[in-house]
Amino acid sequence: MRVLVTGLGGELGTRVAQLLEERPEVSEIAGVDFLPPRRRLRRTEFRRIDPRRRERLVEFVSEFEPEGLAHFGVYEPASRMSPASAAERTELATIASLSAAARGGRLRAVVVRSGLEVYGRRSPRTSVPDEHVPPAPGTAYGRSLLAVEAVAAGLGRRHDVPVAALRYAPVVGSHVPSPLGRLLRLPVVPVPALSDPPFSLLHPDDAARAMVEALVRQVDGPVNVVGPGAATPWQAARLGGRIPLPVVGPAWAWAARVAELAGAAIAPHVVELLRFGRTASGSRAVDLLGLSDLRPTQQVLSELYEWAAIVPLGTSEEAVA
Amino acid sequence: MSPLHSRDFGLDADATSPPEPLPAAVRRRLGGRYPVDPFGLDPQLCDLLSPLFDLTVRVRAHGMEHVGPGAATLVANRGLGIGEPAALAVAVRQALGRRLRVVGAPPVRLLGALSRRLGAVAATPEDLAAALRAGHLVAVPLAPTWLRTGAGTPALELTQAMMGFPVHPVAIVPAGPLGLPLARWRVCAGPPIRLDGSYPVGDPLGAAELADAVRHAVARLLEGASPDPAEETPGLAVPSA
Repeated sequence: MRVLVTGLGGELGTRVAQLLEERPEVSEIAGVDFLPPRRRLRRTEFRRIDPRRRERLVEFVSEFEPEGLAHFGVYEPASRMSPASAAERTELATIASLSAAARGGRLRAVVVRSGLEVYGRRSPRTSVPDEHVPPAPGTAYGRSLLAVEAVAAGLGRRHDVPVAALRYAPVVGSHVPSPLGRLLRLPVVPVPALSDPPFSLLHPDDAARAMVEALVRQVDGPVNVVGPGAATPWQAARLGGRIPLPVVGPAWAWAARVAELAGAAIAPHVVELLRFGRTASGSRAVDLLGLSDLRPTQQVLSELYEWAAIVPLGTSEEAVA
Repeated sequence: MSPLHSRDFGLDADATSPPEPLPAAVRRRLGGRYPVDPFGLDPQLCDLLSPLFDLTVRVRAHGMEHVGPGAATLVANRGLGIGEPAALAVAVRQALGRRLRVVGAPPVRLLGALSRRLGAVAATPEDLAAALRAGHLVAVPLAPTWLRTGAGTPALELTQAMMGFPVHPVAIVPAGPLGLPLARWRVCAGPPIRLDGSYPVGDPLGAAELADAVRHAVARLLEGASPDPAEETPGLAVPSA
């Protein structure tokens, strides 16, 4: 299988390329992103192309004629770029690379990165949604992810290709630039004063494994990928030895401003997670992808805190983030 | 054990543990070394409060040996208030050493969050199905019947969600006079209800049949378990379903 990895410069894209290099059934791997891969890759052909340069991206992708597409060209606001440019790049990268990949005519499997953010607020009614619950995103990031899913699903219907959307729980870890991970590692963590809703996390290695399995098994439809168990904002802050700072309603905008000055911009989808929780039922991933040994949420959280404090080495922000 | 299940910091979302001494519990709380589960259950808080529940809700349980390990639903009658679910939770804890997840978390912010901490689950088919897939023991109350007699019909969409897992009828009777919970509650569980295997899981007609069968089974158990002042021995007749 010839596999194209978009968003190869991200932590997840790089990890997926590393895993694909070990699979004998994957003959060739190519990757694009506007940033270089984060680790050394042996047999992956990387091309540095900004999604805003549509012609170059389309040309490269259609010349490669991929059979499998792992789409990580989905950018989270406030992780490595501003919300506006994240949404713009996500849209451009998705439309250009998906349509160009289909143009080759050899496409057999498409997997796009999505997130639990598509379900929006954890409502007091259904709090642990499965894939049958209709998505109702409440934030820009959630809407952006749902748009990616819609583009991919449309492509799958037109070309009769299985399309999987992996709805990841928030991925945090020592090497993943994530607004939630940065926020939880601040010395003082804003938490909701009147509630303490549960949220689940996903280990970056598990997120990468899920992508490879979905691609190789040609899975169709949305799949929640969630670490077992859950944490709450208060408990997470205390586990890391942080001071929980109770915040109510309108004060969240203010807390976001202060956190941004402290070096951890809080995007609206992170505020939504802290105030209303974010969990989902992950049994479909166990059945379809064979992922019965996902790392539990509490272990992902412990690893996030065990990672030593950042020592400024005079490198750029992006390299240490 | 279900792969969706996790055991963090030595606390389990299904099996109960004895309450810790208070200083250790406070240290654990302040250190954040306690898990919650995706539905909001707080196992440490439940273990800490269990002696209080044992004191205030006294229960005599029968037929709990019918309930096997793993996911299952207990369908029980329900009056007003939280007496019946609380009595069933205490009975399950004492007889099986497991936590009971009760369907029917109020969709209100503060009260809802508190009940979820103690093991409640929203009354939606999605959440009920998710709890069963995660291997929990879930109580589904029949529609409330005002005077604590007889049994109502379970909601059809909830019955659809519980197909494919063992469904046990449970009768809960307050043993005090006039139905007041003054003496020990009687909790009486029956064997799982067998359903015609030709219905696929989630089939509405099959669900309606299951709902009828479970309502009759609970009603029969209630007749068998109704308080009899003369009868003081724990030997209760459990009708076979």
